[in-house]
Amino acid sequence: MVGLSSLGHSQDAPQTTLDVSAPVPAAEVLAAQQRRIEAMRKASMATVGVFGTDSQGGGSGVCISSDGYVLTNFHVSSPFGHRMRCGMNDGKMYEAVVAGIDPTGDLAVLKMFGRDDFPTASIGDSDRIRVGQWCFAAGNPFVLATNLQPTVTYGLISGVRRYQYPSGTILEYSDCIQTDASINPGNSGGPLFNADGELIGINGRCSFEKRGRVNVGVGYAISIKQAMNFFGNLKSGRIVDHATLGFTVATDNQGRVVVSNILESSDAYRRGLRYGDEILRLGDRDIGTANQLKNILGIYPDYWRIPLRFRNEQGIQDTSIRLASLHQPGELEKIVEGNSQQGREPPGGPKPPGKKDPGQKDQGQKDQGQKEPGQKEPDSQEDQGTSSKKSSSDPLADRFEARKGFSNYYFNRLELDRILQLQQPRKPKLPVLAGADPMVVRFTGKVLGEETLIQAAYDPEKIHWTLGDKTDSLGVKTNWATSIQKQEPLAIALAMKLWHQWHDQGPRKLGEVTYIGQSPVLGKQGLLDNTRIVLGEVTADVYTSTIDGSIELIELYADRQSDPAEIYFDHDPQALLGELPSRIRLQYGLESRLVFELKGVEAQAFVSPADGGGAQP
Amino acid sequence: MIQRLSILFALGIAFLLAHSTVAQEQGLSKSASNLEDLFESAQRSVVKLYGAGGMRGLESYQSGVAIGDGNTILTSWSTVLDVDKVRVVTYDGRRLDAEVLGVDPECELALLKVEDSKLPGFVLDAKLQVRAGQRVFSITNLFGIAAGNEACSYQKGVVMAVANLQSKFSGLRSVYRGKAIVVDVMTNNPGATGGALIDLGGRLVGIIGKELRDEQSGIWINYSLPIDVVAASVERINSGKTRQATAMTLAKNPHKASDLGLIFIPDVIPKTPAFVDRVRKDSLAEKSGIEPNDLILIVNDQRIDSQKTLEQMFLMIERGDSLQMLIQRGTELVRVQIRP
Repeated sequence: MVGLSSLGHSQDAPQTTLDVSAPVPAAEVLAAQQRRIEAMRKASMATVGVFGTDSQGGGSGVCISSDGYVLTNFHVSSPFGHRMRCGMNDGKMYEAVVAGIDPTGDLAVLKMFGRDDFPTASIGDSDRIRVGQWCFAAGNPFVLATNLQPTVTYGLISGVRRYQYPSGTILEYSDCIQTDASINPGNSGGPLFNADGELIGINGRCSFEKRGRVNVGVGYAISIKQAMNFFGNLKSGRIVDHATLGFTVATDNQGRVVVSNILESSDAYRRGLRYGDEILRLGDRDIGTANQLKNILGIYPDYWRIPLRFRNEQGIQDTSIRLASLHQPGELEKIVEGNSQQGREPPGGPKPPGKKDPGQKDQGQKDQGQKEPGQKEPDSQEDQGTSSKKSSSDPLADRFEARKGFSNYYFNRLELDRILQLQQPRKPKLPVLAGADPMVVRFTGKVLGEETLIQAAYDPEKIHWTLGDKTDSLGVKTNWATSIQKQEPLAIALAMKLWHQWHDQGPRKLGEVTYIGQSPVLGKQGLLDNTRIVLGEVTADVYTSTIDGSIELIELYADRQSDPAEIYFDHDPQALLGELPSRIRLQYGLESRLVFELKGVEAQAFVSPADGGGAQP
Repeated sequence: MIQRLSILFALGIAFLLAHSTVAQEQGLSKSASNLEDLFESAQRSVVKLYGAGGMRGLESYQSGVAIGDGNTILTSWSTVLDVDKVRVVTYDGRRLDAEVLGVDPECELALLKVEDSKLPGFVLDAKLQVRAGQRVFSITNLFGIAAGNEACSYQKGVVMAVANLQSKFSGLRSVYRGKAIVVDVMTNNPGATGGALIDLGGRLVGIIGKELRDEQSGIWINYSLPIDVVAASVERINSGKTRQATAMTLAKNPHKASDLGLIFIPDVIPKTPAFVDRVRKDSLAEKSGIEPNDLILIVNDQRIDSQKTLEQMFLMIERGDSLQMLIQRGTELVRVQIRP
């Protein structure tokens, strides 16, 4: 310090001499410094530099799972197509592919290969940060880190819950964190940590205006809450979408946020929201201004069901609404294609020429040689190691699969395999008929608290439903939608058939299957895996536990303009492996229609009525 | 060149040293929660201002601070204020109308009047001196990030120097040339001017200046007007000088711009500034030293905010009487006297 001050030898700054003679810092200051050094050391371990396959260009990212999933910005990953390399603090480069992308929220998830013990950032609580707290950004500004050690910049939380309009692109930053920690080109996609080194945001945007592309003390980070809301969906390898409410709001002359327009086809309308009602709360956030509503909506993926509180003439109403997709089917793909064809520059430097991936570029070719969803057996999940089984020049050639609507379909397959593996140990014991195919499968139960018996059965020709002395039946494919739109209890039989077939044959045999990601389910803790199956005229969303894979809810949609049938499966906590769900409940909207205890399932050989015999009714 | 470098270098050293003091001042994590509470209360005195502009790089928004009883807003004097009513948006989202009470051209400061603002006002304590190396924070609505009831933005900084903003040896083109607090971070962004600079105790130590760039080096200078300068300026404005013309008697035989030889730019908007387009040859104006592109700011201690105000002002002054003008010529302030 003294040496330095002698270099200063300036009479212009006499006060600096005063500072030099200041006593040795107090022990608590040194201790605080030590804590900061430790927080930065740990945080740096999980910080990732994102480069092209030729190690050019680049941005930043952060590793959040030991198997190598990396959060970054969409605008960082998109110039590289689906293949990139990730540099970590250990000085090594890891080969990586893109999993899912969120073009609206500027997020992307990459997967690194080569280790199963990648250092990870601990996830903080971005809802609890306050203006004035210290924070730091880590990353690869100006692509400086040739030795792959991240640059750390320290700063303040300057503002919270900021909204940044899409500027020329669709990239929208809602409910984001503003910081004066220096965020520069190349920092994009990298982590923002709180003073304790917990991950609170993904840096992605700055206000520059006339100052050129260097930091002027204003950077924005996507909150880690939003990023984690989308993370499950991004792991699906899909092009994921944001949400729309189906209604708009305006501020009235008393400063209340009121519904100014509402679609009758929206879930909010079905839950009773009407023109002129006052919006009080959405998700877990009180709404005081129209801006706040827009802001909070941005942190949720489509299809999520979130709480809504509003006030109408009858008083305050609490309900839950399903969020619809912000974009039309195919719309996001077009935008993404447009983006990649523009060849946008990576934030850290010029895009290396001639690196475009043929699969990314040519949508027409990529479906060739595509396996049908059902072709691959669930058990054939591939080894996740780095060793390439193909003689292709790209060691990760088999980790990418182009498909319409997906950024990398490989991950969709992988996630569904994961669910099926999760289910394996406690797969329900199903009745087997030796050599008997076709067969009739029949579930029996009893309405909760009553003696009314129920039966749900299916055979190759029909679906049968019995509730007490009432019976009903449907064709195996036809009139399902009408039955659901009419909100009939028969939907239970449809769900039971799906439940049985999922376990008996595997979901891939049932129809077009897509792993959607993770969403909350009313009355269940945390997020559940959501797998969508198109079953002819009806679409089923199957929600499974992320812990043991058990099916917790099947939603059957006739369309997206009416309430689905929701069939909830409760499992007895004391149940042994392989036991059936103990209790099943049907719900339409937010109303429970029927609860019954499941007693058993049996199978019989099926003889078509046309052949004379016929199954037992 | 060498001298310039050594100054920059000295500033760099000051910066390094600054951080060691900062660590001591903070007590770090221990006082962290205090800092958050402090910030939450201090930002309530900072307001967002909206007025004229919005084109050619001129922002239509800036920042301001409530002082005293909260019904006076202190801000930068800029084109944003060239409207009848300046819109003030408070920390809790209330919208108030403000009138310009008076201005100080040399400090480029203005005072606005609002009714019943219910804002906590900063105290102007002229004795609060900041030193190089001291930790400071800015509270501004830079880039217009905050709207409605959203809080203004905070930035951290360290005082690099407290020195005069001289333009003699540098490429600095600033109207204000007095003492300035220069900080090490980009506080003076679009819309930040008029915002607060506070210390670790949450006390107002300066008002963020305008955007300023050294034309030779291209470096942006981030400065604030120190509180003693600000307090003196507020006093000057309050003492009645440079307030807007109030009731005055009409002259029997008044001055006229055209008779003086002044030709202004076309008066097309409600508050077209009194920008001199041309000066007639051999006219009184030319003899007094008025030049094309001069902007007339003040006539006889009365603030001129538009050509209409100037016209009205002339109506009050007898043709035979001389008048004093304060003119902005580029970044210079020039005083001229017209003697008939």
